[in-house]
Amino acid sequence: MTAIAEYVAAPARRSVLARPHVVPALLLLPCLAWIAFFFLVPLGLMCWRSLAANGFSLQDYATLFTSPLYAKVMLTTLKAASLATALALLLAYPVAYALTMSGGLRRGLILVFVFIPYWVDIIVRSFSWLIMLGDHGLINKALINLGIVRAPLELLYNTFSVLIAMVQILLPLTIVIQFGAMLRIDRTLVAAAKIHGASPWQAFRTVFFPLSLPGVYGAGLLVFVLSLGFYVTPALLGSPRQTMIAQTIMVEASDLLDWGQASAAGFVLLVITTTIAAIYNRYFSLDRLWGGSEP
Amino acid sequence: MDRSAQSAVSSGAQVRLRKLSKAYGGLAAIDGVSFDVPAGAFVSLLGPSGSGKTTTLNLIAGFLAPDAGDILMDERSVADVPPHKRNIGMVFQSYSLFPHMTVADNVGFPLRMRSKLSRQAAQKRIAEMLALVQLSHLGARYPRQLSGGQQQRVAMARALVSAPRLLLMDEPLGALDKKLREQMQAEIRRIHRSVGTTVVYVTHDQSEALTMSDLVVVMHHGRIAQIGTPRALYESPADAFVADFIGDSNLLAASIIESGREGCKVKMHGGTVVATLPPSFAAAPGASAFLLIRPEDMNVQLQACAQSDGREQLTGVITELSFHGDVFKLAVAVGDDVLKAKVAREQGGTLAIGRQVILTWRRDAARLLPPAGGGASAIETATP
Repeated sequence: MTAIAEYVAAPARRSVLARPHVVPALLLLPCLAWIAFFFLVPLGLMCWRSLAANGFSLQDYATLFTSPLYAKVMLTTLKAASLATALALLLAYPVAYALTMSGGLRRGLILVFVFIPYWVDIIVRSFSWLIMLGDHGLINKALINLGIVRAPLELLYNTFSVLIAMVQILLPLTIVIQFGAMLRIDRTLVAAAKIHGASPWQAFRTVFFPLSLPGVYGAGLLVFVLSLGFYVTPALLGSPRQTMIAQTIMVEASDLLDWGQASAAGFVLLVITTTIAAIYNRYFSLDRLWGGSEP
Repeated sequence: MDRSAQSAVSSGAQVRLRKLSKAYGGLAAIDGVSFDVPAGAFVSLLGPSGSGKTTTLNLIAGFLAPDAGDILMDERSVADVPPHKRNIGMVFQSYSLFPHMTVADNVGFPLRMRSKLSRQAAQKRIAEMLALVQLSHLGARYPRQLSGGQQQRVAMARALVSAPRLLLMDEPLGALDKKLREQMQAEIRRIHRSVGTTVVYVTHDQSEALTMSDLVVVMHHGRIAQIGTPRALYESPADAFVADFIGDSNLLAASIIESGREGCKVKMHGGTVVATLPPSFAAAPGASAFLLIRPEDMNVQLQACAQSDGREQLTGVITELSFHGDVFKLAVAVGDDVLKAKVAREQGGTLAIGRQVILTWRRDAARLLPPAGGGASAIETATP
């Protein structure tokens, strides 16, 4: 009885804290403050700079869209990002599938090998490709010593070296996202396909593969957006011909000190990536990537 | 039993299980299971969870390979045949409809995989199946747009579309509410009669198994406790486990004093009575056994009357009384034993908790049973 009485009396002496949503909002506050100060404010400043660097004008944006340099760099960037994404998706799929199909110890082992490179810094990983691919690198030395080639192959400072390093950096994330999506596929569906006449390959093609596509799209989106912003890898492993947009922005800001131009380019890149994410969200629902419900 | 006779003319497969065994990590899931499924029959595998019924079904489907034993379909071993070549239809517990296909595409899936039907013939067959499960108007929908009962029907249509000779059903009604369950039970029986395929049906619901099956295989701890028609299981259970699992029952620990011509005299906590010893149970005086009396065989009287021939009686006090619509169920404490009884609605009004009553029953309604095959502990494990 007392419990009921207390419950009834409670609203009268409720504090502000007892109102719904107040506590969650308070808990979010530090995080929101952090994001506001270190992310939104600089972003606002960047946007402001891009417009007001030399008087108030759209001059920097005009340059961006008219200069052949930016067109070329943007094209290179999109090409490299698309290729890296496609390769990463293709290479990750079988690994994610193997992870899904294996259990216990084997799954743990594969995951460890997937993650070890992920824990290594991007710069270190890019440098290690220098060691691997250089004229006196591991691969060329091996090829020469085995007598397969006479002069070292040109493996470095081209699209090949940039792509191979990008894909290697992107793979762990791609695998994990695809794996997460595949784990959510109900495996009795595959059994249902088999008992109703599908060979293992047919069951994969008609049931498992179509159901795994949302994970592929999701991984593709994230990886593509990530690869648009690659800086260290093309800087270390590419030649000027492989210059990507992040490098150009860096040069504008730190070498040419043209902060207005750098800000404008940064802002356009941000708009492009957000647009891609928005389009994806419209059609595939980003929630699914984080384990949310099906649409 | 006329049902199985009717469908014997049909295209159902005969299935024989021969000493099947399967263990997971050293623990036997099933151990030496053998039984025959007659062609066209509706056979239920019934048992509590962990009794091995689903393992048995998965072995028949080919999802698992047996450690030992063999499975014959129409006298041909299928042990080495992969699932997709066994020509089986299956309805899964969670329906397992393909979420990225329409209802019609789901139903047509086995046709696309199995047969070389022309597009038109396939369309016609899909339409026939949708009509059979009364979903003709929903072919273009996706599974997630259907109710549970409708998904269940689609799963039936998909399982039967390629006219498989064997249909496996794994607790197909588990997710439905009671009303819908009963409706679907009738529906499944109707469909079984009309297509005549052999059905192996897994359930833990004894009333479902009793109402639907030609034969019931009761499983317990990975072995077969009893095989029989629903009536045979109810009326002459092989042991205390089966008696306890099938239907409502009073199972009283008793020790046999002496066996005579008209029956067997046993001593229980609540008194000494005479009961029937089934021929299958050879028990000597001094042996312990269980006395089975079904609650509906129990007569509840307020006053003692002259003991009639062939009846037994005990006096006790009502400790529980509950109303179930058509009947009252009551528990009566007799000494240290508690007996369950059922009385008709009109009689229930005269009863109350604490009231002394006399329970009487016919001697031939009281059967002596051995403890479960796995030992006396089986009684506890059988009661959830």
